[in-house]
Amino acid sequence: MNRHLKCFSGALLALVVLTIGALSSAGPASAKNEYAQIEGSGSTWSQVILQQWISDVNPLGMQVTYNGSGSSQGRKDFANNVTDFGISEIPFQGTDPVTHQADTSNGRAYAYLPIVAGGTAFTYQLKVGGKLVRNLRLSGETLAKIFTLKITNWNDAAITADNNGHALPSLPITPVVRSDGSGTTAQFTRYLDTMYPSIWRPYNGQAGLTSQYPRKGREIAASGSDQVMNTIDGAAGNGTIGYVEYSYPLNAHYPVVKVENAAGYFVEPTQYNVAVALTQAQINQDQNSPDYLTQVLNGVYTYKDSRTYPLSSYSYMIIPTGAKDQRMTTAKRQTIADFLYYSLCQGQSKAGPYGYSPLPLNLVQAGFSQISKLKTADSAVDLTNRSVTSCNNPTFVAGHLSENHLAQVAPKPAACDKAGAGPCGFATGTGVPSTNTNQPTGSTTGTSAGTGTANTGTPGTPGAAPPGGSIDPATGVASGTGAVAGQAVTATPIELSASRTGDTSVFGWVAALELVGLVLIPGLYVAAMRRRSATGDST
Amino acid sequence: MTTLPREHLDAVEAVPRVLASTNTGSDRVFAYVARSTGATVLVITGGIGVFLAVQSVPTLKHYGLHFFTQTQWQPDADKLGIAAVLVGTLEVAMVAMAIAFPLALATALFISEYAPAKLRSTLISLVDLMAAVPSIIYGLWGFFLVEPHASEMALFLQRHFGFLPFFHIGADPNAAVWDRSRYTASAFCAGIAVAMMVLPMSCAVMRQVFSQTPDGEKEAALALGSTRWGMIRTVVIPFGRGGIIGGTMLGLGRALGETIAVLLIISPEFLIKPRILEIGTNTVSALIAGQFGEATGIQLSALLTAGFVLFIITLIVNTLAAIVVNRSRSGAGTDA
Repeated sequence: MNRHLKCFSGALLALVVLTIGALSSAGPASAKNEYAQIEGSGSTWSQVILQQWISDVNPLGMQVTYNGSGSSQGRKDFANNVTDFGISEIPFQGTDPVTHQADTSNGRAYAYLPIVAGGTAFTYQLKVGGKLVRNLRLSGETLAKIFTLKITNWNDAAITADNNGHALPSLPITPVVRSDGSGTTAQFTRYLDTMYPSIWRPYNGQAGLTSQYPRKGREIAASGSDQVMNTIDGAAGNGTIGYVEYSYPLNAHYPVVKVENAAGYFVEPTQYNVAVALTQAQINQDQNSPDYLTQVLNGVYTYKDSRTYPLSSYSYMIIPTGAKDQRMTTAKRQTIADFLYYSLCQGQSKAGPYGYSPLPLNLVQAGFSQISKLKTADSAVDLTNRSVTSCNNPTFVAGHLSENHLAQVAPKPAACDKAGAGPCGFATGTGVPSTNTNQPTGSTTGTSAGTGTANTGTPGTPGAAPPGGSIDPATGVASGTGAVAGQAVTATPIELSASRTGDTSVFGWVAALELVGLVLIPGLYVAAMRRRSATGDST
Repeated sequence: MTTLPREHLDAVEAVPRVLASTNTGSDRVFAYVARSTGATVLVITGGIGVFLAVQSVPTLKHYGLHFFTQTQWQPDADKLGIAAVLVGTLEVAMVAMAIAFPLALATALFISEYAPAKLRSTLISLVDLMAAVPSIIYGLWGFFLVEPHASEMALFLQRHFGFLPFFHIGADPNAAVWDRSRYTASAFCAGIAVAMMVLPMSCAVMRQVFSQTPDGEKEAALALGSTRWGMIRTVVIPFGRGGIIGGTMLGLGRALGETIAVLLIISPEFLIKPRILEIGTNTVSALIAGQFGEATGIQLSALLTAGFVLFIITLIVNTLAAIVVNRSRSGAGTDA
């Protein structure tokens, strides 16, 4: 006990020394630049990573507060001069597609810049023989038809074809959508509207994306990404599928759908798959367009790189660029600039572990060109040594921008993930992409002992659970067995005709009679005996 | 019949003494403070009502009375109405009261009549503690713990009482694998969570009225050979009838306005549906909470109008409850 205490206090001392060291080294920088507290609000989609960045920059003297009140509220707050920055998945809409109401910045000068990237993931609960299917593959068209109620059963031929002939049991599909207005819905419906207008528009009743999913038929609507995830992994979740940001299934240890990209590969939205896709994101540079400076993702949806996750997108930070902005001071602009410098560079290396994706070079460059507008507005803002060339982003090497670093770090998908091959047995929802080297083989499966830790999936690590064997997060017991490995779990759906109404009513009556008998017979018997003995006495 | 001695009647006619009632300064200050505090409550409540009423003018101008008959809530199609959500609100409240009323009545009777004196104060504070639990906790409790069992209960009810229209569910109860998702996120599931929230309030009112039952009457009933239950049936319950009705209505007022627990559990649906066990319903307060963040313009005004309607309904229910409770305290219930 005492030794532990000493150990602990030693560690504490070391921590204090380290902190002081870090503070003193950061000292000169913060002395040079004066900071002021900045306030922002908006997207819940990017809130998790943003809170992490805020606590990261706090020791550097930057005070940032953020309120995750939703994208629309974030835009509204910015327009009303309530906040210093806003974060939103969709830009100011001009006229909102749903409410027909003006959604503008009220004349406040602003710029959009990319801040967090991520994949819209499709998580599902589908049990075959009591085991979760973890390697489901679907094409974009199948997904569009599922969420517009054109495909209503898991044994649909289109789903079977996506999984290379492996049929799923006959079970109605229950799509889970958001009941509140959300940026995630906007991201997904933008994809549907761009790629499958002939399926989406008749369902929605009009063209364009919407923040409020039009729930119909069998669909369940839940409020917030958390509740969508809870509905899917809940007791009544078998057969459900819903769209959430990738970090939610990652935290819930739930599988996600591998979505087919233009190269014919089915990929999961792990960090580098999204980053590769977003290298094709374009920014609208047409100053006359109402969508000026917003993302054009058509290239992302159709990028022919085999590592692309098609439903990749990013959220915007809205920063004030007006020279006479009523809330801005030099200190505030400097805080925004330095906070963004940290977020776009070093902070992006934290994106992957949190279920997001780092922004690739093209978007970071676009971001820096927007940050420079802060200096245009106020020449006192110091931007020296804050540029792409000194940026520590995981998708490129700061000194060598021409080198395609992302191509080296992003792994190629496994051969069995190609359409017409496989399907791979590799379980999704672990944050690790499925590659040729980490496919489970027959020899390693079944020997796995639950290690109790999340599956890190490092290929070839001795003693690590094979990726195919999923580990129950609650008990640490490996639940996946040989069934998952190599082959997808498949089953022949059989509907048993046991327990029909006729049976239950007959057995119900019998049970009721027995109960009545059980209660009455002993009493009647005793009464009869007593009567007999009474008559016996009298005679 | 007792008779009074005669000579007293011949005495000088009784003249009431004149009381000097000049208020001292501190009395006046106290009166002003008390009066203004009381007035503040009225001003705040009235202010809320006036604010909501003003905000709902554009909606009522635009949609007119169709706002009350339209079931759909589709801002893009310019169709906004609260017929479905009002019915949903009543359904959830009714389910909640159906569960909470017997529980509250039994709990109140147990605490005031049966519980050992030592245990009584503990039980009272436990029930009061239930009122202090935040409603999001009840929502999570309802979603994670109750809903799986409630869906099984719903299946049971459908199987055996499915001939009743409100227990009907659009799914085969005898399927080999029952379609579980159809039995969740219903008015029934939300009602259970809401019942737990209204129970402490109803119970407290009932218990207070029961505890005011005159001991003399209770003892009289016992002296006449009544059992304890007979005494309760003939004395306590008739005396506390006002409290029972009032407590139930106060609970109903709370059930109508319950928000976050309902929002967590239900899957919003804009249909007038009598099927309380089937997935999908919506209430006014859950609608407001769910849509407020993204609403602008006419939709925002429509949400506030829905809030106004709820405000009026709750005000009426609570006022009626207060009147009933106040009347019962005078002991008027004894002659019933």
